[in-house]
Amino acid sequence: MKKLGSSIAHYFGVTMCNIKMALLTIVEYPSNILGWLISNPIQFILGFATIKFVVQQFGEINGWNYGQLAFLYGISVISHALSMIFFVQGWFMGFYVIEGDFDRFLTRPLSVLYQFFFTNINVFGLTDLIPGILVFVYGCIQTGFSFTVSNVVGIIVMLIGATLIRGGIYILLGSTSFWTKSANDFGQFTQEIFDKTTMYPISMYPEAMQLILTFVIPIGWVSFYPASDLLGIEHAFSTGGMEVWVTLAVGIVTMLIAGLIFKIGMRRYESAGN
Amino acid sequence: MIQVKNLYKEYCVAQKGKGLGGTVKALFKNEKKIIKAVNGLDFHVGPGEIVGFIGPNGSGKSTTIKMMTGILTPTSGEVLIDGRDITKHRKEVVCDIGVVFGQRTQLNWDLRLEESFELLRHIYRIDKKEYNETLAVMDSILGIQELLNKPVRQMSLGQRVKGDLTAAMLHSPKVLFLDEPTIGLDVGSKFALRKFIKEINAIRGTTVILTTHDLGDIQELCERLIIINNGDMMEDGNLSEIVERIAPYRTLVVEYYDSAVPEHPKAEIISASDNIVRYKFMKSEMTAAALISDLSAEKPIKDVGIEEAGIDDIIKIAYTMKTTVGN
Ligand SMILES: Nc1ncnc2c1ncn2[C@@H]1O[C@H](COP(=O)(O)OP(=O)(O)OP(=O)(O)O)[C@@H](O)[C@H]1O
Ligand SMILES: [Mg+2]
Repeated sequence: MKKLGSSIAHYFGVTMCNIKMALLTIVEYPSNILGWLISNPIQFILGFATIKFVVQQFGEINGWNYGQLAFLYGISVISHALSMIFFVQGWFMGFYVIEGDFDRFLTRPLSVLYQFFFTNINVFGLTDLIPGILVFVYGCIQTGFSFTVSNVVGIIVMLIGATLIRGGIYILLGSTSFWTKSANDFGQFTQEIFDKTTMYPISMYPEAMQLILTFVIPIGWVSFYPASDLLGIEHAFSTGGMEVWVTLAVGIVTMLIAGLIFKIGMRRYESAGN
Repeated sequence: MIQVKNLYKEYCVAQKGKGLGGTVKALFKNEKKIIKAVNGLDFHVGPGEIVGFIGPNGSGKSTTIKMMTGILTPTSGEVLIDGRDITKHRKEVVCDIGVVFGQRTQLNWDLRLEESFELLRHIYRIDKKEYNETLAVMDSILGIQELLNKPVRQMSLGQRVKGDLTAAMLHSPKVLFLDEPTIGLDVGSKFALRKFIKEINAIRGTTVILTTHDLGDIQELCERLIIINNGDMMEDGNLSEIVERIAPYRTLVVEYYDSAVPEHPKAEIISASDNIVRYKFMKSEMTAAALISDLSAEKPIKDVGIEEAGIDDIIKIAYTMKTTVGN
């Protein structure tokens, strides 16, 4: 127990130091942040405008009205932003494998995966958070969502779970590089799939696809099921109000599997010649 | 201190096609080429030794260093540091080692040197007092203090290597691994680096294992030499003993008054020009004095000099030898 405590303190100290270094790097290159501050929010506001357009045309999407869609969209963008802050490095794992960039992590007394993500913690991800929160709050107002203790806990629990699911999937995809020995930047591709499946109700997809998104690649748990439950919308695979906790559990399991696969892959890591 | 036991490493290079299709194929099909980089190395290194690890390009030096530092998992065999297997207890064992690769840096390119040190201080849990002490020692050897505020990307190669060496010493490792630390350095920086190695070895008793292609490094630093070629051990021993064993000859340089030079049945003429002749002879067959008196009996001699076989000779010989010593 004491050992665990000191280990947590150790990782916490290093994390603080990493965050400080990330901030110092931004100060060092202030022009970078401008691009992020402008392009990211615009991207999401445009997406949001699209929903508004669709709803105005058809009234609603699969029984979800405008406010509810904003709620779903907003919370999806928030967990996306969180995953960008902590796990975006996963997109580039292949390059680390090919170029031997794991070397310096391996010679240090910390978990390689921890160092991989937190040495390059992406403070810029915060810029995604802002439009997410704006749309989400708008959705809350429209739907009359009340911030009771259990609702707030539910949102926090689901956001943690959703971020872990996203991060775990990035790690799983990135780890394929240990076997293929090639670097594919699958960021764009992953992003598109996640956008299409977490920002809109998956009930609009064919049943087979829904089954896959529920049980095989558990993206449904990132936003659709927990948001349905929080809003009190009927959906398949109801767990009787436990949705947010299922999301957390799915997140933890996804992360554990991803960590295991990464560890197995790491044994095949060959560094790089000169 | 360090035990390397029957260490093997094979690289598995995927022979993949182009594009996404090729990548997907590579995932399922076994189109691979095996490269045997290290073939059964065995050796011990004691505390406080400075060992030169040498061999031609592609002989497996870096591969071996990477297995000894926990970067690569051996195909078979093991590396024990203070009796603990580095592959199985990586996080624990790496606290006792420091690593510098001449071609790469572990410093943060964008920030000041001190920032990288601060991160390492947290990673290795070094308390402020110990950190300052080490930094003072490093300052006396390398003059690191004046670099602390400099962004790493603005540093010269020599300065960056100094930064990396200090970074590797911050947690006071028992063993320091240096893979081609002098590559690309000018004479002054090389001199500073050699001084650094000698001093940390003397002051802190740090064991040092280094690879290099620089004969000066070896001559100045290493009592012990491990020579490998094609992943096989060629030689392991004291520098002068190796010279004695695989290059047991000397060269007598004789200057005559004219160009008609005498020959000798037990000495081979390896060059002759401007009345100066170089005779190579075996130490075991003849003394230099005997050779000089034989030659002077035939022609008057103006001047003589004796050259011992040098380190470059033994490297030349060792690199071309085919058999593994000790088999
Ligand atoms: N990451 C890698 N993937 C595949 N093959 C590799 C890799 N690294 C090294 N090799 C191969 O393994 C062999 C040994 O390489 P290694 O880098 O250990 O040699 P070295 O003795 O350090 O050479 P040098 O003096 O050029 O640094 C070479 O044939 C090399 O091509
Ligand atoms: Mg090398």
